[in-house]
Amino acid sequence: MTASIVVDGLTKYFGQLLAVDHVSFEVEAGEIFGFLGPNGAGKTTTLRMLTDLTRPSDGRATILGMDTVKDSLAVKAIVGIVPEASNIFLELTTVANLTFTGALYGMRKKARNERADELVSLFDLEEHRGKKGMELSFGLRRRLTIAMSLMHDPQVVFLDEPTSGLDVESSRLIREVFNDLHRKGVTTFLTTHNMEEANQLSHRVAVINNGRIIAVDTPELLKQAASESQALEVAFDRDLDASGEKDLSGLPCVSEVRLLGDKYHLVTSDPPCVLDSLYPFMEGHGLKPVSINTFGPSLEDVFVKLTAGKEEVARDE
Amino acid sequence: MSEQVAAARKPYAWDGLRKAWAISSKDMKIYYFQPAILIFGLVFPLAIFFAFMIGRDVKAVTLFPGLITLTIFFSTTTVAPFSVPWEKMNRTFERLLFAPVSMTAAVIGKVMSAFIFGFVVSIFPLAIGLIFVGSQITSYAALVLAFFLGSLCLSTMGMLISTVKADTPPKVMMVLNVVRLPLMFISGIFVAIPTLPLYGRVLAWFSPVSYCADLLYKALGFQDYFGMLTSSLMLVAFTALMFVASVLRMKAWNK
Repeated sequence: MTASIVVDGLTKYFGQLLAVDHVSFEVEAGEIFGFLGPNGAGKTTTLRMLTDLTRPSDGRATILGMDTVKDSLAVKAIVGIVPEASNIFLELTTVANLTFTGALYGMRKKARNERADELVSLFDLEEHRGKKGMELSFGLRRRLTIAMSLMHDPQVVFLDEPTSGLDVESSRLIREVFNDLHRKGVTTFLTTHNMEEANQLSHRVAVINNGRIIAVDTPELLKQAASESQALEVAFDRDLDASGEKDLSGLPCVSEVRLLGDKYHLVTSDPPCVLDSLYPFMEGHGLKPVSINTFGPSLEDVFVKLTAGKEEVARDE
Repeated sequence: MSEQVAAARKPYAWDGLRKAWAISSKDMKIYYFQPAILIFGLVFPLAIFFAFMIGRDVKAVTLFPGLITLTIFFSTTTVAPFSVPWEKMNRTFERLLFAPVSMTAAVIGKVMSAFIFGFVVSIFPLAIGLIFVGSQITSYAALVLAFFLGSLCLSTMGMLISTVKADTPPKVMMVLNVVRLPLMFISGIFVAIPTLPLYGRVLAWFSPVSYCADLLYKALGFQDYFGMLTSSLMLVAFTALMFVASVLRMKAWNK
C-alpha cells in the first residue's frame, strides 16, 4: 500500500514552548488512523500543521505526495477538515452552509446543489435543511460540520474529536459514515481522546504525549502490551461483606479488585486462573453468580500504561 | 492528478473571483442587516451630519458632498471590521482557511461586500441631495470616480483595520473609530479642503478620504483642491497599498 500522509520530523514551537517534538509517522491510503493523546499532548497542533493552518517550526509533511506548506492550496483541495468546534455559519441555513462550502472549493452551482442534497440525506438532516444554524441542536450542528467537510468529496479527511459530546444516535451515524468512506478508499486521520472510538474505528493508532509519538500500532497489538490489564467481571446474587471482599482480593492471580456498581472487576493477567478459584470462593461464601464476563485489556489501559511510563522516564531523566 | 488539485495549483483568475464572489454573497446575506452595521454604517454618518448642520447658517446644498463622503466612508469601513472579527470569534473564518482559497481571493471577497454596501447606501444621500436640496451634478466623471474609487479605497481601509489583533467585533470597532473620527476632520468632509487652514491642507494629503471628498465637491459643482487626476491616482495608490497590507497581515495570522 502507498502512504497517503507522510510526516517527517514535524516540530512546532510556540515561543519557548515545544508543542510538537520531531513527530514522524505514515498513514496508508484508505486507512483510518487514530491519533490519541491527553489534552495538550500536541494532537491538534499536529493536525493544524498537516492542514497548513499552522506553519511547522521544523520538519515537513506530504499528503498524497504534495508538500503541505509549499503546495498548500492543492492539498486543501483534496482534504476535508472537521475541527473540534462546530464552526458552521449560524446565520445560514443547513443547505446554504453546504452550498457555500462547495463554492469555496470551486464547485459549480448544479454540482453543489446535488451534493448538498446527497449530504443532507446521508446525515439525516432532511427536516432541518431550511433551518438556520442557530436553530440546530449541538448534535445536528456537528453532523452539518462533518457534512460540510465532505462537500467536495475529499480523498483525505482530518477529524478533530468528531463525536465529542454527541448523543449515541449521532455518534453511531458518524461512525457509519466514516466506515463507508473507508470502504470508498478515503484516508481518515482521527484525532481523539475517546479510546473506545479510536478502538472501534481505527486500523492503526499513534499515541502522542508531551509532543512526542510514543507508540504506533494496531489497537489489538497495542493491547497486547497491556496483557496484565485483563479483567474478569462478576456480579453476585447478594452484596459481599468486608471479609468476603478481602477474600476476593486474595484469590490467586488477582492483582486488583474494583467495585463497579453491582459488579466486581478483578484485574488479572490470567483470567482462567481466576475462574478456577472463583467457583470454590462462591461455594465457600454461599454466593451464586448473576453474571461473569472476561475483558481483554482496553485501549485505555494501554494509553494509561504508555503515558504513565513515559512520564516516569521523563521524571527519571 | 485530480482536476481539483490541478485547479488549485494553477487557478484561473476567474476561479479566484468566483470564490471571492461566494464570500461576498455570503457576507451580504449575513451582515448587511446586522444592527451594528446599520448603526455604525448608516445612523452614525447621518447623526454626525445633522449634529454639524443644525443651528449653523449654511446652505444644505453646500454640505451634501460632505454627507455623501461621510456615508461612503462610514458604510464601507464598517462591514469588514464587523464581519472579520465576528467570524474569527465564531471560528467560521477558518472555513475560508480550510478551503483552497488564496488569501488574496478572501480579501477581495471581503472588500467586495463592503464596496457594494457602501456604493448602494451612498446613492441615497445623493438622491436626496438631487431631489430635495437642489444639488446638481456638474461632473459625472468625478461622481463616478468618487463612488467607484472612493468606495473601493475605503472598503480596503476597513479590511486593513479588521486585521488588527482583536478577537471580538467591539474591540475592532473601537480601533476603527479611533482611526475614523480624526480622519473626518482633516479630509474636507465638513469644510472643503481649499478652505482648511494650512496644516489641515497638509494633513489632508495623508487621508484617502480627502480624495473621495474632493472628487465629490468637484462632481457637485464646488471648487476642488487636488484635481480629478491626482485624486483618482491617490485613491488607486492607497487602495493598492492597503490591499497588499491586508493580504500580508491575514497571511501572518496562521503562521
